[in-house]
Amino acid sequence: MVIYSFYIFDRHTECIYSKSWLPPSLSEAPPNPTPDGHPRPDRRSKAARAGDDAKLIFGTVFSLRNMVRKLGGDDDAFISYRTGQYKLHYYETVSNLRFVMLTDTASPSMRNVLHQIYINLWVEYVVKNPLSPVEHKGGEGVKNELFELGLDQFIRGLM
Amino acid sequence: MTVFALIIINKAGGLIYNRTFHEGGLNKISTNDYLVLAGTFHGVHAITTRLNPVKNAPGDRTSTPSSVPGAANIVNRPEPSSGLEVLESENFRLQCFNTMTGTKFLLFTDTTQANVDVTIRRVYEMYSDYVMKNPFYQLEMPIRCDMFDRKLLSYIREINNR
Repeated sequence: MVIYSFYIFDRHTECIYSKSWLPPSLSEAPPNPTPDGHPRPDRRSKAARAGDDAKLIFGTVFSLRNMVRKLGGDDDAFISYRTGQYKLHYYETVSNLRFVMLTDTASPSMRNVLHQIYINLWVEYVVKNPLSPVEHKGGEGVKNELFELGLDQFIRGLM
Repeated sequence: MTVFALIIINKAGGLIYNRTFHEGGLNKISTNDYLVLAGTFHGVHAITTRLNPVKNAPGDRTSTPSSVPGAANIVNRPEPSSGLEVLESENFRLQCFNTMTGTKFLLFTDTTQANVDVTIRRVYEMYSDYVMKNPFYQLEMPIRCDMFDRKLLSYIREINNR
């Protein structure tokens, strides 16, 4: 099982945390072909492109979640989708905090893993941190050492 | 094992066919909502193609079809990344089949349904036989072909009664 990346979105649709575990050889395709495989002058920074990806991911899960709830009823929940190249897993808490993970196509359901991240890492290290703000504007309060270390260890343990 | 519904979306994102086979599987939504859903799905499908985190390494481009004679002269393109294929939720499973021409077949089934890709290919065959070969069918327009309706209904009924 390979885990590509992980994102957290808050209830204001902002991406408050993102992390990628892609080996540099894969994430940075040399020399020119950019994410979509088209040669394009690489004018924008890597961080800007990652930010764009986060926005696209949020748009996708937001639309699919609404679609699922419209068709399956209000108690239905969007779990995952798979393409030929990757699989996206989704978990949403009651407070509209959204956890998204991208893995390879062969991986089993990661819903419980995302739930574990929520209760064991998010609640323990971010919510229970007295210095952490209520709203995590720009990722404030999420990027603390304990959370990042715990997350990295947890994910590497899975791979 | 139940097949709930079938939706066909043309290459522009318009809804051209929509049929429910099993009541109670999915919420009833209006035709207008189905049109919105088709358009939304079309857009999301395009985005999911772009989101591919695994970039093609330059070495991969030329590796595969070298065993074919004469293939060395052809510029090898990487396999285009496919968009959304299977979506899972708590209450249903959605399989999407994207044809070479961009028409999308969406099959809604229950979460335990097996071999949906076989079913969806059979539906595509029926579409080619009874819709595309119908001389009165206008391309990209809503499908109103009795033969297609009848054959599809009997095929799906067979699956649902298994």
